[in-house]
Amino acid sequence: MSRFYIGRNIAIGAAMVLSLSLARAADDLPKADTILDKYVEATGGKAAYQKHHNEISKGSLSMAAMGLKGDVTSYRAEPDKSLTEIDLGGLGKSREGSDGTVFWSLSSMMGPHVKEGPEKAQAQLSSHFNAELNWRDVFKDAKTVGTDTVDGKDCYKVQLTPSDGSPITQCYDKDSGLMVKMTMTAQTPMGEQTVDSFTGDYRKEGDVLMPHKIKQSLAGQEILITIDSVTFNADIPADKFAVPDEIKALATKK
Amino acid sequence: MRLSSGVILAAVLCGWSFAQPSLTPAQRQLNVDSFEQVWKTVRDKHWDPKLNGVDWPAVHDELRPKIEAATTMQEARDIMSDMLKRLKQTHFGIVPGEAYRELDQKNETGKSNASDGDPGLDVRLVDGHALVTFVTPGSPAAAKGVKLGWEILRIDGKELAPGLAKVRAALGSPMLAELIETRSVIERMEGPIDKTVEVEFLDGNDGKVTLALGRAGPRGVETVVGTLPPLHFWVDAHKLQPDIGYVHFNMFFEPAAVEAAMKKTMAECRDCKGFIIDLRGNPGGIGGMAMGLAGWFTKQSGLVLGTMYLRTTSIKFAVFPRPNPFDGPLAILVDGCSASTSEIFAGGMQDLKRARVFGTHTAAAALPSMFTKLPNGDGFQYAIANYISEGGKPLEGIGVTPDREVKLTRHQLLEGQDPVLDAAVSWIHGQ
Repeated sequence: MSRFYIGRNIAIGAAMVLSLSLARAADDLPKADTILDKYVEATGGKAAYQKHHNEISKGSLSMAAMGLKGDVTSYRAEPDKSLTEIDLGGLGKSREGSDGTVFWSLSSMMGPHVKEGPEKAQAQLSSHFNAELNWRDVFKDAKTVGTDTVDGKDCYKVQLTPSDGSPITQCYDKDSGLMVKMTMTAQTPMGEQTVDSFTGDYRKEGDVLMPHKIKQSLAGQEILITIDSVTFNADIPADKFAVPDEIKALATKK
Repeated sequence: MRLSSGVILAAVLCGWSFAQPSLTPAQRQLNVDSFEQVWKTVRDKHWDPKLNGVDWPAVHDELRPKIEAATTMQEARDIMSDMLKRLKQTHFGIVPGEAYRELDQKNETGKSNASDGDPGLDVRLVDGHALVTFVTPGSPAAAKGVKLGWEILRIDGKELAPGLAKVRAALGSPMLAELIETRSVIERMEGPIDKTVEVEFLDGNDGKVTLALGRAGPRGVETVVGTLPPLHFWVDAHKLQPDIGYVHFNMFFEPAAVEAAMKKTMAECRDCKGFIIDLRGNPGGIGGMAMGLAGWFTKQSGLVLGTMYLRTTSIKFAVFPRPNPFDGPLAILVDGCSASTSEIFAGGMQDLKRARVFGTHTAAAALPSMFTKLPNGDGFQYAIANYISEGGKPLEGIGVTPDREVKLTRHQLLEGQDPVLDAAVSWIHGQ
């Protein structure tokens, strides 16, 4: 699961700028590429990332206020294949994925959905494998826009602008270099939704340091994602990323 | 399902009267604390930060001295209710602690629990009369020969009519009345499965019949969703006639089961003349399921059933068309016990002119609201969002008005007829 977009596949997804911060960009702030490259180094280094070609993450998801708990499993593979499966007690199963061409979601509750337009652009963004390493390929611009304090930690705010879609703001701990917060605006058929993701409990998986707790704030609700295990270079069946039949039927019509 | 009519009813019975002993200083302080909690909750959680144009700090400053001076619980409640009434919105209310206890008391056997069952009857209030509208096959009621259209007069010796009249008078509005009264009657028949409930009926010959009815586990499968108590879900899906698909389910839960029922019926009904979704008695559930259900009936992308407005965001109830949806005539059946997600679906499909709605006016209870206990022991209900159907009207307090109003009658029920269903079938055949 990408550290950049760890919440994207779980909840609704992507990017928004904190406009108040824009005016605070100053010469004394480190450049965005320095901060982003430092993150790669702080989490294991370029070589460690390059050893990985796919990833399976397993964990749990809970919405305490509603008393909901469930399991989440995420499969990701180079260059932009993904599949996230959520089984949330009482609400049923849902899947979201990409074979690199078709970006989709499917659940008993909502039915099948093929992503188009801004929603597709955002899904493409979040499906990039090792996006934190290859951020220069993913975003057309990155700049430091200010500072913030998250959970008592001072952090640099970096605004990342994709070639298609709205920007994302991420905050990196000044001391450790680790990302502690990301703010996005999800583009969904239900409208734009601001998502704040707070990342913590960084622990090593193989040679890479990864967040194991992600607390998301979305539409007034809090979602806690806990990662229990991560497997790199796993034996993922070739058809794991195949587009489901219901999606194929819709995609063919479009 | 174990919806508590007591809680619903209590929410609207702010004027309920109880004996009013004077308060101790500690109780008076609890009332002040409760007042502050109510005021702050509305300030912080109401979906509209402008609070419908009300000067909320001024309301606080005006009423705070009064709550400090309140010498009875009723006086304190009246002050807090007055504060909430300034919002001029439903789903905000003070629930007397005594009302909780009184209204949750179903019968002398006590409150329901996991071992509860029921005789297997569904009931609707028709002109103030509790009529049997469904007898579960194989149930204790079926075994004793209870028939459609029989009127329930007494449960465990207690006459229904005076209580129902009292409830109606207290409500002051037909909205929600059928839902609350119906739940109240059904709950009074629920209880431990090892005990019987004595029910006096008016049978088809206008004769009084008293039956000791056993109880069996509720119809359907138990489902647990978050913090809600265990619920029982069922779905009935079949070809109603050779050329009409029919799906009826009791609440918007178990998405996979509803999807499976829809898939099965769609597969059997590809060439059907029409389709009927029966939401009578369905109090709602997971709001998102309205979107998923709508997707079975349209090819058009980008449709929206309505929009829910929260304080910081809004959520469009977008429709995702399914592959090969049914595009023939669609009838939706509703009644006064159809609420929340049922209203979102029926109202949205009606607004989109994709369905014709049959039955009676819905419950007009579409707002997501929360209940919390106050420091003084009373309850506090507050809405956290507003919902506007695609046609531009709020469903809350208004509900869905059927395109074709069809009321049940005792005579038709006794004849084994379902006039609402019959009207929908007739319309489909006329298309």
